Amino acid sequence: MNALAFAWRSLVRQPARAGLGIAGVAAVAALLFDMLLLSRGLVVSMQDLLDREGFDVRVTATASPPGTGPRLRQASRSAAALMALPEVDEAVPLGLSEVAFDAGGDVGSQQASLFAADTSRRRPWTVVEGRDLAGGGQPTGMVLLNRNLAAELGRRPGDSVTLRAFCGAGRSALPLVSLQVAGIAEFPFDDPTQFSAATTLGDAARACGEENRDEADLLLVASSESAGAENTRAAIQFLLPDLYALTNEEVVARLQQGEFSYFRQISTVLVAVTLGFSLLLITVLLTVSVNQRLGEIAALRALGFSRRRVVADVVCESALMVGIGGALALPLGMALAGWLDRILKVMPGIPAELHFFVFEPRAVVVHVALIVATAVLAALYPMQIVARLPIAATLRNEVVS
Amino acid sequence: MAPNYNSKMIRAAAAALLSLAIALGLGASPERARAAEGPLPDVLVSRQLAEAAGLAVGSSIRLSADPSGGSSREFRVAGVYEPLPDPMRINASKHEARLHLPDLLQMTADPADPLSTETVDAVNIALANPDGAREFAREVRARRPGLIARPAAGGSSEAAVFVVLERFHLAIAIVTIVASTVFLLALTVMLVDERRETVGILRLIGLTTRRVMSQVVVEGLIIATAGALFGLVLGIASEGLVNRYFQWHYDTALIFVRITPDVALRSVAIAVPLGALASVAASWTLLRRSVLFLARR
Amino acid sequence: MTTGTGVRPAKAVVEARDVTRSFAMPAGPVVAVRDVALRIAPGDHVAICGPSGCGKSTLLHLLGCVDAPTRGTLLFEDQDVATLGDRERSRIRLRRIGFIFQRFFLLPMLTAAENVDLPQAEAGAPKEQRRQRTAELLQYVGLTARADHRPSQLSGGEMQRVAIARALANRPTLLLADEPTGELDQATGAQIAALLDRVNADGTALVIVTHDEALASRARRILTMRDGTIVGGENGS
Repeated sequence: MNALAFAWRSLVRQPARAGLGIAGVAAVAALLFDMLLLSRGLVVSMQDLLDREGFDVRVTATASPPGTGPRLRQASRSAAALMALPEVDEAVPLGLSEVAFDAGGDVGSQQASLFAADTSRRRPWTVVEGRDLAGGGQPTGMVLLNRNLAAELGRRPGDSVTLRAFCGAGRSALPLVSLQVAGIAEFPFDDPTQFSAATTLGDAARACGEENRDEADLLLVASSESAGAENTRAAIQFLLPDLYALTNEEVVARLQQGEFSYFRQISTVLVAVTLGFSLLLITVLLTVSVNQRLGEIAALRALGFSRRRVVADVVCESALMVGIGGALALPLGMALAGWLDRILKVMPGIPAELHFFVFEPRAVVVHVALIVATAVLAALYPMQIVARLPIAATLRNEVVS
Repeated sequence: MAPNYNSKMIRAAAAALLSLAIALGLGASPERARAAEGPLPDVLVSRQLAEAAGLAVGSSIRLSADPSGGSSREFRVAGVYEPLPDPMRINASKHEARLHLPDLLQMTADPADPLSTETVDAVNIALANPDGAREFAREVRARRPGLIARPAAGGSSEAAVFVVLERFHLAIAIVTIVASTVFLLALTVMLVDERRETVGILRLIGLTTRRVMSQVVVEGLIIATAGALFGLVLGIASEGLVNRYFQWHYDTALIFVRITPDVALRSVAIAVPLGALASVAASWTLLRRSVLFLARR
Repeated sequence: MTTGTGVRPAKAVVEARDVTRSFAMPAGPVVAVRDVALRIAPGDHVAICGPSGCGKSTLLHLLGCVDAPTRGTLLFEDQDVATLGDRERSRIRLRRIGFIFQRFFLLPMLTAAENVDLPQAEAGAPKEQRRQRTAELLQYVGLTARADHRPSQLSGGEMQRVAIARALANRPTLLLADEPTGELDQATGAQIAALLDRVNADGTALVIVTHDEALASRARRILTMRDGTIVGGENGS
């Protein structure tokens, strides 16, 4: 009977004890797995969200986040210049502002985010009902609403809406502008309660009383397939050195250092805590188990079992308990991650498509490596007890006791 | 988190730009020549900015609202302050300054807007009776339509973030408690099994199950209480370590972990019954068996 | 050391030459075995008797290479045990020595057959050979019908018989028994004694530590120990 089979028999000899030990390992290892998912979940999810939009470089006037810093002047000219680069497939100017839609009746007005783009090119939204905005950056008198806003205003494609824009840092009293609802659209970064709308750059400028304004908060750039994001970013920076270009990876890296930092920190802390916790508990379980069987172990040594063999039995017992628990932890962890993700997604401002816990094969590899290390480390002390067991003294003690 | 394009960020960015301009426009020499028109206006700078720029009380600096540094004004550093530890701005730059309102308005006013020197973003109000904040806000909104008035405590999206985080932490705590309980049960089953023979002998000589169990309960309570208190001491010891680490990491005075009497009481109130129950449950599984089984070697 | 006939007997299975074993205690060293000289020849049947605490079990542990002497020389099949590492000593215990304990020390999660199989598997015997040997040994001790029973399902006597079968698994030259009937009633003890006689008659040297006079009287040599030394019987022969 090899050490593994022997360890298995030792475990099943006391099914309640073994079952509880494995269940405990599974619960702790599930939490460990979840923290590994959380450590990169936001990064992976945000990267996916940014990539799905179809643009892989973002250009702004300064290093400030879009919508918070100065605007890009002569945006359409800059976009045209970028489009001439061989690395660039498409460059779309995008304006961001806040507007108040006239909701009528007791509600008064409903604030919403307004996206304004050159609609002759790729758009950062998806129309799900009605039709998309036509034309380029010129005013069309049309607007797209997201589902929340359409429901709140009680509007369908074909209806008209009136809005007042908030342009610049101050709150000037701008006139109401009337637009027709072309369709209902989904915006990738909308949170579940967000109100969003989209129109052309021309209509947005008209709402601010600046018909000839050619400004945008950022340029969304799609690289050509052969160039890649990094080469495109370098080419843009070379062409327009006064502007600030970031690839999607760089955007995510900034978020990782900033807004996502808390979740990275807490996942690190909890990984350390769960590892320490499981190490301590498994060591205690194994040590108590070994101490209860010292007579048996001494007898085996007296019968001729080598030190290496009895130590291997302890290691195998640890490996079985932690291994089975660790394997059970994966489906348990996925279920737990779903629950935790639902809790966190309720946070205001979190896009509906963004997830905190994202499965990556890499997480399984790290999980397995940590589990193996825990099993080995947890067995160290009981291994030492067994390796140094004085055979004769133990046999004597067993008789006396 | 989605890029947030609302006006709050615009204000924050203005402050950041101002800060950037401060950094760009620094002239930290106390001997720097200045306009001979009376004393320089005072400014307070954050500790982080003072450390980064090598400023001290008495240093003179130039501030500008223009990112290029144009139209700057000279100020004297009157003091260094610790920024309010705001968990929502934990990652934000803490390079900031505080000016007298007329000085700030003078720097940021739009020359084309005659009312811009009379325009502020918000007015903070301290009420004589803070409990009436909701009614006061409602009255202000009714009297001045277009104004946004809200109580400072609760109701904002910032508070909602912490409610969600609290729920998240609670979920983690629940999982940890469940795992601990399972392990505790495993341990107590093992430890109880060690005493099988002793328990068997006690039953053989006539002690009732109830009598043996009452001893187990007392023992379980003592061990659980000792364990809970030890855990509390460990928690209090690590509270300082955790706070010190994160305060260093984020360069902030924010308190991250605080063990209040309520938290301590709740921890003990959960741990002690759990420990005692685990002991009782494990013993019960043994005491259910026949006396002969218990006493047999 | 000679037997007194002037002729040196056949190679000893185990020979103790003035071995002493002392234990360091807080109150001062305790000498459990003092200057013992003893020679066990192949096929010997020796009983070691004495009051509690006289060092019988300690001497047995020394003879079985479970413990090492503080002073003196212990030879197993002419090999100085002190020169052997733990691995070699384990190998000797596995292949050349069989141990029987007062408390049986059967592994509770294994059946009787699996307990007997265990040392053979550890010694690397092929599966089929082990199966045959296990069946043979269980028949030898009269427990073929209980092969698949766990120790908790066996009586004390049955457990000791399984222990004897286990001790014989790798055909040892020496069988050491420490109070083999200590936990058994008289009738069962007699059965075990008879079985041990049979084992010895089949060629295995047997050394028994016992309080049981009836068991001791079946030995060809009876050694009496007191205060760590052999005071009665033959010392050194």
